[in-house]
Amino acid sequence: MIRAVMVMNTQGKPRLTKFYDFQSVEKQQELIRSVFGVLCSRAENVSNFVDFDSIFGPDTRLVYKHLATLYFVFVFDSSENELAMLDLIQVFVETLDKCFKNVCELDIVFNYTKMHSILDEIVFGGQVLETSSAEVIKAVKSIG
Amino acid sequence: MAMTGMRGLSVFISDIRNCQNKEQERLRVDKELGNIRTRFKNEKGLTPYEKKKYVWKMLYIYMLGYDVDFGHMEAVSLISAPKYPEKQVGYIVTSSLLNENHDFLRLAINTVRNDIIGRNETFQCLALTMVGNIGGREFAESLAPDVQKLLISSSCRPLVRKKAALCLLRLYRKNPDVVNVDGWADRMAQLLDERDLGVLTSSTSLLVALVSNNHEAYWSCLQKCVKILERLARNQDVPQEYTYYGIPSPWLQVKTMRALQYFPTIEDPNIRRSLFEVLQRILMGTDVVKNVNKNNASHAVLFEALALVMHLDAEKEMMSQCVALLGKFIAVREPNIRYLGLENMTRMLRVTDVQDVIKRHQAQIITSLKDPDISIRKRALDLLYGMCDVSNAKDIVEELLQYLSSADFAMREELSLKAAILAEKFAPDLSWYVDVILQLIDKAGDFVSDDIWFRVVQFVTNNEDLQPYAAAKAREYLDKPAIHETMVKVSAYLLGEFGHLLARRSGCSPRELFSIIHEKLPTVSTATICILLSTYAKILMHTQPPDPELQNQIWAIFNKYESCIDAEIQQRAVEYFALSRKGAALMDILAEMPKFPERQSALIKKAEDTETDAAEQSAIRLRAQQQTSNALVVTDQRPANGTPPVTQLSLVKVPSMASNADHNSRDQGLTEANGTLSIVDPQPPPADLLGDLLGTLAIEGPPGASVQPGDGIQSEHNVISGLEGLPNEVDGTAIVPVEEHTNSIQPIGNTAERFHSLCSKDSGVLYEDPYIQIGIKAEWRAHHGRLVLFLGNKNTSPLVSVQAVILPPSHLKMELSLVPETIPPRAQVQCPLEVVNLRPSRDIAVLDFSYKFGTNMVNVKLRLPAVLNKFLQPISVSPDEFFPQWRSLSGPPLKLQEVVRGVRVLPLLEMANLFNSFRLMVSPGLDPNPNNLVASTTFYSENTRAMLCLLRIETDPADRTQLRMTIASGDPTLTFELKEFIKEQLVYIPTASHAPAPTATAPPVAQPPSTSTASNDPGALLAGLL
Repeated sequence: MIRAVMVMNTQGKPRLTKFYDFQSVEKQQELIRSVFGVLCSRAENVSNFVDFDSIFGPDTRLVYKHLATLYFVFVFDSSENELAMLDLIQVFVETLDKCFKNVCELDIVFNYTKMHSILDEIVFGGQVLETSSAEVIKAVKSIG
Repeated sequence: MAMTGMRGLSVFISDIRNCQNKEQERLRVDKELGNIRTRFKNEKGLTPYEKKKYVWKMLYIYMLGYDVDFGHMEAVSLISAPKYPEKQVGYIVTSSLLNENHDFLRLAINTVRNDIIGRNETFQCLALTMVGNIGGREFAESLAPDVQKLLISSSCRPLVRKKAALCLLRLYRKNPDVVNVDGWADRMAQLLDERDLGVLTSSTSLLVALVSNNHEAYWSCLQKCVKILERLARNQDVPQEYTYYGIPSPWLQVKTMRALQYFPTIEDPNIRRSLFEVLQRILMGTDVVKNVNKNNASHAVLFEALALVMHLDAEKEMMSQCVALLGKFIAVREPNIRYLGLENMTRMLRVTDVQDVIKRHQAQIITSLKDPDISIRKRALDLLYGMCDVSNAKDIVEELLQYLSSADFAMREELSLKAAILAEKFAPDLSWYVDVILQLIDKAGDFVSDDIWFRVVQFVTNNEDLQPYAAAKAREYLDKPAIHETMVKVSAYLLGEFGHLLARRSGCSPRELFSIIHEKLPTVSTATICILLSTYAKILMHTQPPDPELQNQIWAIFNKYESCIDAEIQQRAVEYFALSRKGAALMDILAEMPKFPERQSALIKKAEDTETDAAEQSAIRLRAQQQTSNALVVTDQRPANGTPPVTQLSLVKVPSMASNADHNSRDQGLTEANGTLSIVDPQPPPADLLGDLLGTLAIEGPPGASVQPGDGIQSEHNVISGLEGLPNEVDGTAIVPVEEHTNSIQPIGNTAERFHSLCSKDSGVLYEDPYIQIGIKAEWRAHHGRLVLFLGNKNTSPLVSVQAVILPPSHLKMELSLVPETIPPRAQVQCPLEVVNLRPSRDIAVLDFSYKFGTNMVNVKLRLPAVLNKFLQPISVSPDEFFPQWRSLSGPPLKLQEVVRGVRVLPLLEMANLFNSFRLMVSPGLDPNPNNLVASTTFYSENTRAMLCLLRIETDPADRTQLRMTIASGDPTLTFELKEFIKEQLVYIPTASHAPAPTATAPPVAQPPSTSTASNDPGALLAGLL
């Protein structure tokens, strides 16, 4: 199960967060901060995996992608395949790119509502809902 | 740049972006929240558009980290709006802001249901999404049939059906009864015939959830899964939009193979053959290519295929093919693949016998230990540890030692423990083992736990050939200019016991040994002084003929410590002094320690625990665990020195009852003194072990000496169980072998340690045994706490008769939500526990937990980490605030002062960190004296409300084992409890010890605990039963 999806910029500002098991607002912020703390100290050209048990509790993994000024982060448990999660981040990013034509951080900041709609078409209650970005875009368009 | 439809929201977001700092942001947010609150108050004037805009703003503010505790009703009410845009906002915001237990949700059930059964497809989607995200039990019961209908309906579009599948999954997790196995198994199989890959992916996720609980019922799905896999692997009938970088839906391939791993075996030879053909194709047809995304996708499939091959326990040929592949992966440029390659090699080691093949890649794995990525370094360490055996131990351990100096601090403790274990398990000769451990202590003393040096002492004691060598090595290290305190301990111990074997060598005369050891005394802690005193007594005993000058020197030291404030040191000094005046009798009393009985290494046990900590709930891991423990049983029986295992009784020289009774009457005074020595448990666990180790030394002896037989045995028994890390079963006869236990189910890991670590953090594992893992997650807010217990069944069959009862101390109000009587196989249930703190107290709540597995009834009593410091909130105060407060709280009972002795020696900075970790905020520089610390915090309870607490610690740079502490607050009980609490932390810092569960409220000062003080603490009482 996917436990959280976070998009934050390289200064640690959250741009989109969604927690699939309920966390209090304080806990959410603490998690965002710790994730950022770990990610900002990682070099380029290292793996996309981080040991995460110490922050999110036992049996959690973290996969992230660093693109331009943004981190895309998925936190999940051992029932998911790490690389498949990384692929899903890529689908998410490609979908955004198609929706916003060369997506940049500003698009994400000012299209907060649309970001939610897009994510909801990809991840549903912590499960992978759709993996085809064409299908996601179709669904998002149909609901306006 | 596309803009969102709502101008107000965009303006607000740009305002926030333009804020220069957090303070400005806060002001802007407060202004907005104020505005929204006023607008919501007279709701009549609000247009649906405005409502929608405000609710979005609330969600945005919530993401920024501000609590939005109003407007929930407005968000929920939007769900029933007739038009799509408002309805959409209502659903999205509700599912992000509210949790499943929120009361308002109940109000929406009817609307949600109407949307689900209605004809509007977009409304159906919205409703399903919300239920899928936050639907609870009530939703499960009232909506499951409708959701099932949508999923199997032939008139519904895939867009709706794929959501219905995942929504049903959520409802099933909330209440497994909503899916009727008999009726649903066939439906599930039919769903797998689906052509639409979106619906098929969701349905497969649903299948994974169902089979993980009950694979038998879904047997018919097995063949379907293999069919799906074949279709994808052959790329038949896969539409373009589901081909990702040329790979037919990697997610669906992965999910299908995951589902197959929940079936224990595949019997049908035809299905098996087709599956292996597909797997073979995946294993052989995957190459590392230039495109990163393509690589990730194809390897996601490949690694899942590997996992499935391991699960199916394929013929050895296929396994070595897998290892060959992995060997290729760990050397590629792509870091993700290196990482997974190492991880999967480790996993493979645990399930099959492929060690020899993996060893061929040893050089490459050692290179990975120097990878720039810490994630990869950790995996490499795990793998090296797993693949080590007699043939390569020397190489691997030496690599680890070399790496130790440059390793990240985060890894050093694990690294040194692993090196120590490997050295012990696979040492080609024992002198090498001694070399390794001493090097470890030398290079990373801070990270070497007591167990490690205890173990080396045991080995040396049990192997006569090794003794001169070890003593000589210890002597060499003492010449180094600055050595770690652990090195002082182990050298002093070894030289005390075996130093006389070196007598002819230069620099090793008794006098020289004494003076070089004595040089270290001024810099060491209390626990080490105890060891040094014993060493002096031993040196004295071994000096034959006696050297009067040396004798006088040592007696002077004993004399000096006879008035030491530390009871343990004082007692040793008095007794050694008295004993050493007995002349020749001293020889018998202080004779060499007897051999330790053979036993399983506490270190290995510890490592086993850390391994199983991250227990994965997959079939593979489960099997792996069984294998590890088998391996351990084998090592356990391996005699380290060729001598057959001996029972404890044969080792202890027990005087006969008669002679003892006789002796008792003559020399009662001393008997009593000795009796105390063995019973006294004066130090917190690590030192306690030490006390026992050395306690025996003074007690053990022939009938001539004053010894009570019971004490001797008990003390020996303590040594064993203490070092073992097994519960201390003190019984009069003490002939029960240590390994034997009445309770056949043993916890994994040290439960006491888990408790201690949870006292300073908010999530982790509370308890684990082979069947269940209990995790805990806590949130604290003022005097309220919300803990969630995660009860995870690790088995393929259910745990029944599950019962959890909270035994709260009188100062806590605790309410545990209903715990289900049965935990389904491999399922995890969450049980929230609400805590309210009524008043300050250090008492501890206990969870009385029991379950039945097969014929085993397991009952454990676990201390819950709802401890005093959880109700603290650090607060920083300026000097202007601090001093007036400090002065206004004058004298007892509001302000208490105490001199604490026997403090664990800590640099001031570390002490400050310790306070901070317990939420006492240290204000650096507030006290002008650099040897002092000042800290402040707020304590919350229902009685005291928020209460400011101030603390001052004055340390003595000349004697770091004592300090003066002053605590002030507006409540006498609080001041007292906090003082005691802090004292406990200063005197006892939970380290990786393997002592029997220490009571959290153990008296901190080195004085014999009276049982009466412990008995009014239910936690302490019950912890004794653990």
